[in-house]
Amino acid sequence: MNLRTASETLSFLRELEEKAAVFYEELAGRFPENKDDFLAFAKENRKFNKQIQMAYQSVITDAIEGCYAFDLETDHYVFETDLPDAAGLAEAAAKALAIEEKIVSCYNVGAEQSGSLLADVPRNFKIVVKKRNNRLEKLKSLA
Amino acid sequence: MAKNYIDGEWVESKGEIIDVVNPATNETIGKVGISTKEEIDSAVQAAQEAFHDWRRTPPVTRCRYLFRLRELLEENFEEVSRVQTQEHGKCIDESRGETRRGIENVEVACGIPSLMMGECLEDIASGIDEYLIRQPLGVFGVIGPFNFPFMIPLWSAPYAVATGNTVVIKPSSEVPFSQTKITELAEEAGFPPGVWNMVHGGRTVVGGMLDHPDIQGITFVGSTPVMRDVIYPGCGNTGKRCIAQGGAANILVIMPDCNVEATIPGLMTSFFGNAGQRCLAGQTLVIVGEDDAFYKSFVEKITDRARNMRIGYGLDESVQMGPVRDVHKKESILNYIEIGMKEGATLKLDGRKAGEIVGNYPDTCFLGPTIMENVSREMRIVREEIFGPTMGIIRVKTLEDAIEICNESPYHNGHAIFTSNGKSARQFQYDCISGNIGINIGIVAPMAFFPFSGMAGSFLGVLHTQGKEAIRFFTESKVCIHRWL
Repeated sequence: MNLRTASETLSFLRELEEKAAVFYEELAGRFPENKDDFLAFAKENRKFNKQIQMAYQSVITDAIEGCYAFDLETDHYVFETDLPDAAGLAEAAAKALAIEEKIVSCYNVGAEQSGSLLADVPRNFKIVVKKRNNRLEKLKSLA
Repeated sequence: MAKNYIDGEWVESKGEIIDVVNPATNETIGKVGISTKEEIDSAVQAAQEAFHDWRRTPPVTRCRYLFRLRELLEENFEEVSRVQTQEHGKCIDESRGETRRGIENVEVACGIPSLMMGECLEDIASGIDEYLIRQPLGVFGVIGPFNFPFMIPLWSAPYAVATGNTVVIKPSSEVPFSQTKITELAEEAGFPPGVWNMVHGGRTVVGGMLDHPDIQGITFVGSTPVMRDVIYPGCGNTGKRCIAQGGAANILVIMPDCNVEATIPGLMTSFFGNAGQRCLAGQTLVIVGEDDAFYKSFVEKITDRARNMRIGYGLDESVQMGPVRDVHKKESILNYIEIGMKEGATLKLDGRKAGEIVGNYPDTCFLGPTIMENVSREMRIVREEIFGPTMGIIRVKTLEDAIEICNESPYHNGHAIFTSNGKSARQFQYDCISGNIGINIGIVAPMAFFPFSGMAGSFLGVLHTQGKEAIRFFTESKVCIHRWL
């Protein structure tokens, strides 16, 4: 599916973040020793959603190219969160890293496409990517 | 049923009741009354009575009502945006943009204690001081158009009540529900009865406003003929203040040095956004230069982008262009395309049939984007307002030629240039007659803290809506000279 408008792109990103948040909550239940980290990731995903939504609602005006800002193929960014029952922490962290890679890639491509069109929205995409760095380091240490 | 709101009460209109139709689905979504002269008189009387106490309410207290209204609008952001899409047809992105722009006017009006301050100079002569104070005048009428049912009355109403006046708002009867929703929230915000009133209707209500001796001024946004022939003279005849904003036929100039990839989405938004039903929409594209390769490549890119546009019901987030507001407007646009072709324009992209409509809705009010080439400056499709998703393309040799075309237009609302050359941009800004000038911006919509500055055939009056000019419009300056013996 090809996404073009700001609202459908943001809805898609919201879904990705929420799906990943649910995945992290599941990991928190399965790996009690890393529960705090995983719950923090889930909470942060939802904060990212609010941050992006606020940026969108603050700059989306009839002067901005909201209906023509993107050209994103969703197939490149969808991911599965299934994890085998027997999976250990390393496998779970590797899965999480793969998920993060997809989400980061979606934000980066979205920021590039809408850079000169949507003002604060692509800027916030980049902030979200930057804020994920610590998380990626943590996941790499677990993988 | 959209009811009137008079003196703090919701009352059903005594006039004819008409259907309000969603232009995308073709379904009736509600009804509205076409109110009578007696009903507008009743609203003005209530507003006049409320004025006495409201003007004595301290500005800082008055703006607390607006702060509450602002919070309620934020809380209902999505709902009011969806209402706009349902009654007007615009895409949900566009409706959310309209909501944001409307709220921003409430936010600016919340600063009234600072904005309304006067001036003072001690010792204009020894022992004598002079003051300028700003005072409200009374009841104001706000007449809204169909194309921005939520935002445009908010260019005026928050400033009017913040400065101590009372208002009677008349929304377009084609799109009555956005203002009804705002008025419900104004009621919830606790405005005293009579301060914020709303009367639905048509010409009778407008006539009643113009004739009413207790209305001090009117703000109007609508067509140029109504602005020129009805509103402005009507206000003049009865000594009312007037801000009258009319139509447009904006010209967007493309320089060969523009950033093509960034320019094309800007053009899509400008020409086809809101289905072209914006007084800041582009109508004519003037491409400068003699480089045939650039011209052909640029036009191909625009055409490809427009051809692939998703058309449908704006509540579907994937839709990029919704329907026009009603079948009569569609017919008028189709007629202009025919006129253009008769006058020698050629169709590069024929949008007379919408093609594929996402969701398979009836094509009653849908059009596709139309692009016409071989357009010349004297054609009616350049000089008259089409108000639909059409683009006429003119080629010229120089920037001076392009500016000349802008300046000979009867309308001067929002001309724009796309260039990466600062000198060209400055020349355009300096020489082009237009109330709002865009440099690499296709829709030159001023933010709430700037005036909406149309000119010539697009505007009659002196002061404009929004920002500081609205404060001046809604207040009278009084100079006081003090000598204490």
